[in-house]
Amino acid sequence: MTVAIGMYGVGKRYWKLEEQAMLLRSLLPFHKPTRSEMWAMRGFELEVEEGGVVGIIGRNGAGKTTLLRMIAGVTQPTEGRVHVRGRVAPLISVGVGFHQEMSGRENVYVNGMLLGLTKRQIEERFDEIVDFAELADFIDTPVKFYSSGMFMRLGFAVAIHTDPQVLLVDEVLAVGDLSFQMKCLDKMKAIRTSGVTIVMVSHAMAAIRLLCPRAIVVRHGAKAFDGDVEEAIARHHEILSAEAAAGTGTTAGGKDVIGGVTILDTAIVRPDGTAAHHVTPGEDLVARLRVRFDKPIDNPIFAFTIFGAEGSVAYARATPPQHNYRSFAAGEEITAEMRFVCHLGGGSFRMTTNVSTHDNRAVLTTDYRGVVFFVESRFWTQGIADLDAELLVDGTTLDEGREWGLAAGPAGEKT
Amino acid sequence: MNNADGGVRVLDLDGRPTPWRAWWADLWQHRDVLAMLARADFHVRYKRAAFGVIWAVVVPLLQGIVLAVVFSRIIRVGRGPDFGAYVMSGVLAWNYFTQTLANGSTAVVEGRNLTDKVWFPRAMLPIVPALANIVGLTVSMAVLVVVAPLLGAHLGVRVLLLPVAMLLLITFTVALSLCLSALHVYFRDVRFLVQATLLIWLYVTPIAYPAKLLGQLAPYLDFNPMTGVVDVFRLAIVGPQPNQVRAITVTLVFTIALVFIAVEAFRRHDRLFVDRL
Repeated sequence: MTVAIGMYGVGKRYWKLEEQAMLLRSLLPFHKPTRSEMWAMRGFELEVEEGGVVGIIGRNGAGKTTLLRMIAGVTQPTEGRVHVRGRVAPLISVGVGFHQEMSGRENVYVNGMLLGLTKRQIEERFDEIVDFAELADFIDTPVKFYSSGMFMRLGFAVAIHTDPQVLLVDEVLAVGDLSFQMKCLDKMKAIRTSGVTIVMVSHAMAAIRLLCPRAIVVRHGAKAFDGDVEEAIARHHEILSAEAAAGTGTTAGGKDVIGGVTILDTAIVRPDGTAAHHVTPGEDLVARLRVRFDKPIDNPIFAFTIFGAEGSVAYARATPPQHNYRSFAAGEEITAEMRFVCHLGGGSFRMTTNVSTHDNRAVLTTDYRGVVFFVESRFWTQGIADLDAELLVDGTTLDEGREWGLAAGPAGEKT
Repeated sequence: MNNADGGVRVLDLDGRPTPWRAWWADLWQHRDVLAMLARADFHVRYKRAAFGVIWAVVVPLLQGIVLAVVFSRIIRVGRGPDFGAYVMSGVLAWNYFTQTLANGSTAVVEGRNLTDKVWFPRAMLPIVPALANIVGLTVSMAVLVVVAPLLGAHLGVRVLLLPVAMLLLITFTVALSLCLSALHVYFRDVRFLVQATLLIWLYVTPIAYPAKLLGQLAPYLDFNPMTGVVDVFRLAIVGPQPNQVRAITVTLVFTIALVFIAVEAFRRHDRLFVDRL
């Protein structure tokens, strides 16, 4: 097998400027620009064989974009070597070089040529592209009148029809329109079988799992894991949890943290006590908080809060305030538990805990960084909650005999 | 750098600059894209205006008339019978220069949404306005040739030098645009420096007045590379200019030096610009 993408000891250094450089100022004598270096990637090794499909996962700022840019040849490494065999096309939602004033038709040409097609090749594929983008009625309208969805569809349609040998997919499933996302996924599955090398970056683990048998976890610009996709995803969530667990603060929700209680452990576990970094909707879960009282405290409030990816509160639960139930002695260690059924939708969640005084005026202790866990999304669903819905058409359920969730994705991948 | 291996494109990148020859080859491979971008740029600029491309010609002509009238009737510089053609040939060349430079010098930064996903030589971006503006330049030159006799010029075979003059103008403008656009990525005040410089530059180039007006200072005008460019246009339309050989030589030296600097800058920074955009 030939290597389609090779990265050997690749490092990329960025200069962080304290301020925007000005030519006039830099010409002044004794002017020293204030800048510091930052390695976005160091000693990165990667080999992808021709026809290989690899998912790249990692937190924001881990170096995923830098990685894609180097494969696309848009930026060069500071050290090491990047080797890419074949024509590269980036699959992106914002059409490259779209001119607002020009019609969709004209933009297809400019866009296609930027992606490496000849004029004749675009002519041959034109109808197919327009068809895929579902824009036949608007193709002669200036794209400035397009909705963002139309814009995105046209961008994808052109990119996916450029017959690349290497396809770079950056967060395709992050934008809008579910039906179009599915269409793209189907198209990518078709492309995958034709020997195209695909590198896919996504925060949507469902998409990564669906397309990539192999995944790489990138962390601080280095490879943290390279191998089977399931292991990679598990490793990724482990890292997220571990990073979130480090550190505690001194204020919580604007209230002072007065101390008196020490958090020994917080975790989300399954009923059998095993850690749950990665859960599916409908699972029974237990949020567990273990604390030690450093001084005698009466009737404290225990609160659990689950935040969605954007920081919104998905669910919060606390023991009732002003409720006399028990006094704790100094040195006593106890466990508070919130048992729940996971009705959360797909995505990353963070659970934080705190213990407050009886009157809820002050916080005794808080674990504001909390525990991060990931909920798998079921197919054809979106959103922060999973309502476990059933869909019926004319009284007939379409969900009958269909395993819910990923196990039976649209094309019955993985069984 | 791109190498072909059995028809398959191969990209090998390391920290080193692109070799000289590979850089040119890459640019040459993208000539169709360049032409397409230039066409798009031209269309976008004039599509929505009612008179379309006519504006590209009318505006500089109007500017020429104003300058000719102001300098001949009001300031009363020493003028010959062909002063109208003299001013007009200078203004039209100058107009192309400023219009192109204004867009070209910021092109790499302005084109950032084009450059962060797909590779093509960044040098194409500043070249695009230079190509797109050729249409306006050509049409206005054609108009000038037609009206030149009315403005007092006696056209001869010299008029065949016009394409040479245009080529020199375009090359010089492109070379300067390339250098400035690269600089602009790192120093964002370049945009304003260009605007300010162009204002002054117009008056230190013998466009609306004959060089001899400056008396003893006149020879210094020849160190301005635009003097040589304008001289070639004058040579084609109105006839030989004093000291034109010296002025044109200066222009050629400047142009070659700028092309060299531009290529050196781009082959080193082509793939680093994106980190600063």
